[in-house]
Amino acid sequence: MAGKSRFSASDRFEYLQGLVTEFQDTDSEDSKEQVLANLANFAYDPSNMEALRLLQVTELFLDMLTEENENFVEFGIGGLCNLSMERESRDQILQSGGVPLVISCLSSNRDETVLSAITTLMNLTTAASRAETTDSAVVQCMLRFSLTQNPRLRNLASVFLQDYCTQQQVDKAQEEMQGQSQSALGIPLPKD
Amino acid sequence: MDSSVANPSVWGTQKVYKHHEQQNVAQTRPKYREGRRLKAVKVYTINLESRFLLVQGVPAIGVMTELVQLFALYGVIEEYRALDEYPAEQFTEVYLFQFQKLTSARVAKRHTDEKSFFGGQLHVCYAPEYETVEETRQKLQDRRRYVNRASQNTAKQHDRQLEESTESSSTDTQTAATPEIQKGSEKARIENVDSDDMGFPVLPLPSVENVSYGLHGFAQPLQLQWTTDIRLPTTEDKMGSLHNATPPVTETSKQCTSSASYKKERDLSERRKNLSPFLRFMPRTTHLESRKRKLEGQALFLNETAETETLIGPKLPELPKVDMEDHSLNVTANLIRQTMCKVTAVAEVKPVQGKTPTAKPRRRI
Repeated sequence: MAGKSRFSASDRFEYLQGLVTEFQDTDSEDSKEQVLANLANFAYDPSNMEALRLLQVTELFLDMLTEENENFVEFGIGGLCNLSMERESRDQILQSGGVPLVISCLSSNRDETVLSAITTLMNLTTAASRAETTDSAVVQCMLRFSLTQNPRLRNLASVFLQDYCTQQQVDKAQEEMQGQSQSALGIPLPKD
Repeated sequence: MDSSVANPSVWGTQKVYKHHEQQNVAQTRPKYREGRRLKAVKVYTINLESRFLLVQGVPAIGVMTELVQLFALYGVIEEYRALDEYPAEQFTEVYLFQFQKLTSARVAKRHTDEKSFFGGQLHVCYAPEYETVEETRQKLQDRRRYVNRASQNTAKQHDRQLEESTESSSTDTQTAATPEIQKGSEKARIENVDSDDMGFPVLPLPSVENVSYGLHGFAQPLQLQWTTDIRLPTTEDKMGSLHNATPPVTETSKQCTSSASYKKERDLSERRKNLSPFLRFMPRTTHLESRKRKLEGQALFLNETAETETLIGPKLPELPKVDMEDHSLNVTANLIRQTMCKVTAVAEVKPVQGKTPTAKPRRRI
């Protein structure tokens, strides 16, 4: 990451544009995965976020969430997790109707996918989007996660419940869950 | 999810998570996007990163001290322990390190992963599963704050690249950027900072010194010095870039900084008419040393007054003063001057004494 500081903004933009082009043009699944992972990792560095926004990479990541290839999904949601930390990128994701797609990642088999999805939802929660991101289905899901053995999942879900949901929402979700008589052991956990 | 070990009952809660495993590197990358080192295809998010590092592959030859010394190079370690219950290859040990800061852990990982150590190869990875809920929360908050501040810096840098960077224009961009940083109650915060300034600075901010001030800035008392430092234009990207190296700034210091930014915008227009466009970054230690030198038996120096413009009181016979355009050089030059004064004062006696015995015959014109 440190080495990139010698590149100017326009160099960066061109390089990232090259990556996006390769992604769109190549047929090789391997190449696509590599490029996607690169883009997602570049999204970690704030100095790239503006370029990625201009290149509409948020759209690209969102498109990946409905792919069959689980790596695509994992890298896509990882990229969104990184990008959504920044306000303007977050807004771009919200405008593209990204919330339902992110929520759908919560039921993935993959650890990292679910974790990225939870963090992304946190980032995407604004006054306007709160109703959507803390939908009762989501809250129930988080409640289940907060009971698992997996510490990372448990921690993130707990933070979500504590910081992004009201007590009312949590109580309501708990009632609904008991109504469905689901035990903690019966929850399908992400498998890798 | 977890690739569990052969007999989970023996290991109990100790799981080998997938993210601990070292993946194979990608061999098929085209040249233009191949890095210096071959890397696996993996995405790093804030969830994966952690202040906790898991170190595998440490040869079991009693080198724990050396290992700790190695990792301590990269930052303060809060805790470390050997993980005896973790499945390890034969003759190797596994350790867990808890760094004080995430940035230290990141740097440490980058430098130690895959490195050879006493004949073995270390495999270093993050271990976020050891975090508490609070630590996770803090990690996310710190990350978000950092990203938003850093992206503002980047935006400002772009502005600067577009405009010609004169002082006034940079002030403008700072003025433009600071409203983003400011929230509603900034006035109150500024007052707080004010009262703080007169007492103790909240955090040791790196002091940016205005060079053309010369002596003026430094004969002032200590408190005012700090205030001056805080109020002088601290280039925002220094804070941004510093942030890469230092821990995420706390709320109080953020207030201080943001109030400081706002303050400097006001003060700049009011007081600092004669700012030179040349700003130098002065490390705090230089200031401390210069202040120490100043205070150590500088009776003469202090009496020479604060303001160069309005000298009040009896002037000492002075040699023409040259402004070396550098604070520490100025101070040094002054010290030398005083010493010279003292020496010449003593030396004056000698030649007079010396002359009388060897009086030359006067020439009569």
